[in-house]
Amino acid sequence: MSAAIVLEIPSRTEFLSLVRALAKRAALRAGFPEAEAERVGLAVDECATNVIEHAYHEARDRRLEVRLDDTGMELVVEVVDTGDAVDPLAVPKVDLEKYASERRKGGLGVHLMGKIMDSVTFLRVGGANVCRLVKSKHAAEQDGAA
Amino acid sequence: MAELSVESREAEEITLIYPRGYMNAHTARLFEAEIQKAVTQGRFRIVVSGGGLLYIASAGLGALMGAIEDIRKNGGDLRLCELSESVRNIFEILGFHHLYRIFPTELDAILSFRADEPGRASS
Repeated sequence: MSAAIVLEIPSRTEFLSLVRALAKRAALRAGFPEAEAERVGLAVDECATNVIEHAYHEARDRRLEVRLDDTGMELVVEVVDTGDAVDPLAVPKVDLEKYASERRKGGLGVHLMGKIMDSVTFLRVGGANVCRLVKSKHAAEQDGAA
Repeated sequence: MAELSVESREAEEITLIYPRGYMNAHTARLFEAEIQKAVTQGRFRIVVSGGGLLYIASAGLGALMGAIEDIRKNGGDLRLCELSESVRNIFEILGFHHLYRIFPTELDAILSFRADEPGRASS
């Protein structure tokens, strides 16, 4: 039986701290060191923020689900929503040199998720968006030993 | 307890901003408003003293980016100091440490502005 943890929250930013705290806790429990677990919490926070802002356009009456699963080899986090399909390829790549002059504020979250996690995959399954974030324990061990 | 509080004070021509707590998409607007208040008042020398900042997500980094062009266009700058290791790590992941000058202490950050002034650099 899967030992996955599932958290379902309303689509409101006041619940983001709960998402971050749970993801960090799950990463610690999976054996990641404190600093790595902190970054995993940030990546999941960014993912949930994107759902609220882009899939739900800040509507406060929707729901999103965060599933955290320690498979033994890796921590797999899925953030699931039933909002508008979001095309990750439509998210412009962050060019910090131009970022300020273009007065942009978006795009940093997806960029951070990619820098922190080993893989970030966006799927459309039925009427749902699934953002799948994977952090390998093997990579963490190698980082720790370096 | 609030997740984030933001206070500011003025030290001569420099505005010091103190974010304390957790800065995410829910709370970053408080921080953004404080930066904007300084800019609106024509105070373009800003030090963000982050000793009390426990966490920063991209919304907080976006708040920094949102005002920086106006600030620099007006001859000012926004500099950071006293960042914890975990917050500084986020800046480094995104390469923000190349865009912003980051100092170990508040005094260093304040003095860096003084050093910019002709005739005061060596005093």
